[in-house]
Amino acid sequence: MFALNPNSRQASRAAWVALHYSNYHGASPSGLRALRHVMKVSAKMIADVGVKYYLQFATEDYISGQETGNCFATVLYQKKSKPEVNIKCARTQDQKQIQEEDRRVFQYLRHQTKPITANKIPDSHGNIEHALLPVWALAVAGSSHIMLDKSKENVGYFLAQIRTAKQWIRKDGAVEFEYTILLHKTPTQEMDLCYMNVLWSLHQVLTAKYICASESHQLDDGSGQEFGSAAETLHKKGGNFLQGLSASHTRSMGKLCAQPEAAITFPSKPRYSKRE
Amino acid sequence: MRALLLLAALGAVAAATTENFIGHQVLRIVPSSDAELQKVQELQELEHLQLDFWLSPRGLGDPVDIRVPFPSLQSLKVHLEANGVPYSIMIEDVQALVDREQMQMLRRRSFVPLSTTTFDYTSYHTLDEFSKGGTNRPAIWIDTGIHSREWVTQASGVWFAKKIVQEQNEGLASILDQMDIFLEIVTNPDGFVFTHTSNRMWRKTRSKRSGSLCVGVDPNRNWDAGFGGSGASSNPCSETYRGPYANSEPEVKAIVDFVKNHGNIKAFISIHSYSQLLLYPYGYTTTPVPDKEELNQIAKEAVAALSSLYGTNYKYGSIITTIYQASGGTIDWTYNQGIKYSFTFELRDTGRYGFLLPAGQIVPTAQETWKALEVIMTYTRDHLY
Repeated sequence: MFALNPNSRQASRAAWVALHYSNYHGASPSGLRALRHVMKVSAKMIADVGVKYYLQFATEDYISGQETGNCFATVLYQKKSKPEVNIKCARTQDQKQIQEEDRRVFQYLRHQTKPITANKIPDSHGNIEHALLPVWALAVAGSSHIMLDKSKENVGYFLAQIRTAKQWIRKDGAVEFEYTILLHKTPTQEMDLCYMNVLWSLHQVLTAKYICASESHQLDDGSGQEFGSAAETLHKKGGNFLQGLSASHTRSMGKLCAQPEAAITFPSKPRYSKRE
Repeated sequence: MRALLLLAALGAVAAATTENFIGHQVLRIVPSSDAELQKVQELQELEHLQLDFWLSPRGLGDPVDIRVPFPSLQSLKVHLEANGVPYSIMIEDVQALVDREQMQMLRRRSFVPLSTTTFDYTSYHTLDEFSKGGTNRPAIWIDTGIHSREWVTQASGVWFAKKIVQEQNEGLASILDQMDIFLEIVTNPDGFVFTHTSNRMWRKTRSKRSGSLCVGVDPNRNWDAGFGGSGASSNPCSETYRGPYANSEPEVKAIVDFVKNHGNIKAFISIHSYSQLLLYPYGYTTTPVPDKEELNQIAKEAVAALSSLYGTNYKYGSIITTIYQASGGTIDWTYNQGIKYSFTFELRDTGRYGFLLPAGQIVPTAQETWKALEVIMTYTRDHLY
């Protein structure tokens, strides 16, 4: 076990992994947290398994920035699977208040007569319309699942932007949104374009299903044709991508591919293999 | 033809260079026919006449102004009259005009330290007067917008420019008394335009290369410091593509050439977003820089000054220990060139909005960053090397 610098990149990355876990499994778009700063951190190598971080960190409300108390967490980075997280947070906010807020947001979304659709949240200038804050919060919750899955000791993610959001009105009373989102990846600086479907039943579950452009071709140096570099390239071989998704989602993927800016390329034959 | 030959002969006699303009006149010709225009155009070829075209021949009706040295004056006038080309004398004696201007400058030259309010804009000044005391004074370099999607940086750069120009406080004035500040605001202009027209998340330059479908090079991996090592990609499609060779990008080469030619830059600050960090070299190696203690101390004070304004929390340290390994980076190169006070900023925020920082945060970000810059600039001024 060795103590680490709480100011280090590793420390804040690990804290965020713990928060991704909490933000997703908390199933509460009104109770999302962001990292303020790490107070204490140490790590332990576990032979044949990975590295385990022990953290104490201060948090704030993701939307408002208000202080929301400290958390204790362990994050186990494993070689072949996603990080394993245990997290316990002291709650400075009134739990009832958060639940009430969730209920209010849920009802607001559920009672839309016309499905909400939106582009670019935040917009280029960082603005989010007040009415779209719940749509953003839902995406933060859902994308935390993706970011948790993909995070590694030396690879971190942030939700950079929601490109498109589209609500699907459901008969069973749950709230469903389909998103295309950009995840900013460090240190490679790539923008990973992901399609995500979020399903939310109040006080029960919040689940996200997703597929990202980078998944169809993984290279160690993160050199897949991801959004930032490949925006002008055209949609190719979308068929591979759509395997395993339901019909309704296939329909959306078709629309996704039609938008040039949201184009995903699936270089199953790497273009650059000849030059490497 | 014979007339032209005559002029050429006379011109050869008058070929001795003159440093004064005694007896020189400025003639104006307004060609009103093709024949006249052609005659005037032919004059440009007669180098021995030493004609100085203040306004060159363009088309019919466009004035042509020619300063004619005294030895060529008579022959040119005869030539024009013989060919029916009308002219008028705009300036009878160029030297007299120069003398008058000189006297005016001497009379108005002020020996009080210049400021934007006391500077005499109604008079011509020498280069020395413009740069307050000589070329190649020690200088500070600040750049923003090298990564085009980091919009809060270019926006802050514009604010810094306003601050430098309008600032009345003693601190900045005393810095400018001894040093020059160079501020490059849109260091990656092609990328910046692209973030407005096509892809808000574009980071790199927009250079196109045959052999690759992907565009652009990461301008902060293209410098000649650890170039080719870990911490940059060799894949043109990567966001951290280093480029085919160091300084391949004109945006980078231009700064490299400037820095080398200037030779007296003492502090170099390159500004990025996001993460809220103040960094010093190196990024390409874990070997600490020889001046690590000093740079660390400066960073500590700069960050404290920054935080004092709005409580914004910054971390500081070397690039490789604080952020990640990065090769071919700007301030690694500038440090290795001998610019000891080389720093990189990563401005607001820490990930919630990231590159899409709300515009309402631009001014607070610029204000707090300026506090940190003041610390660095003041320290540099007080520790010139």
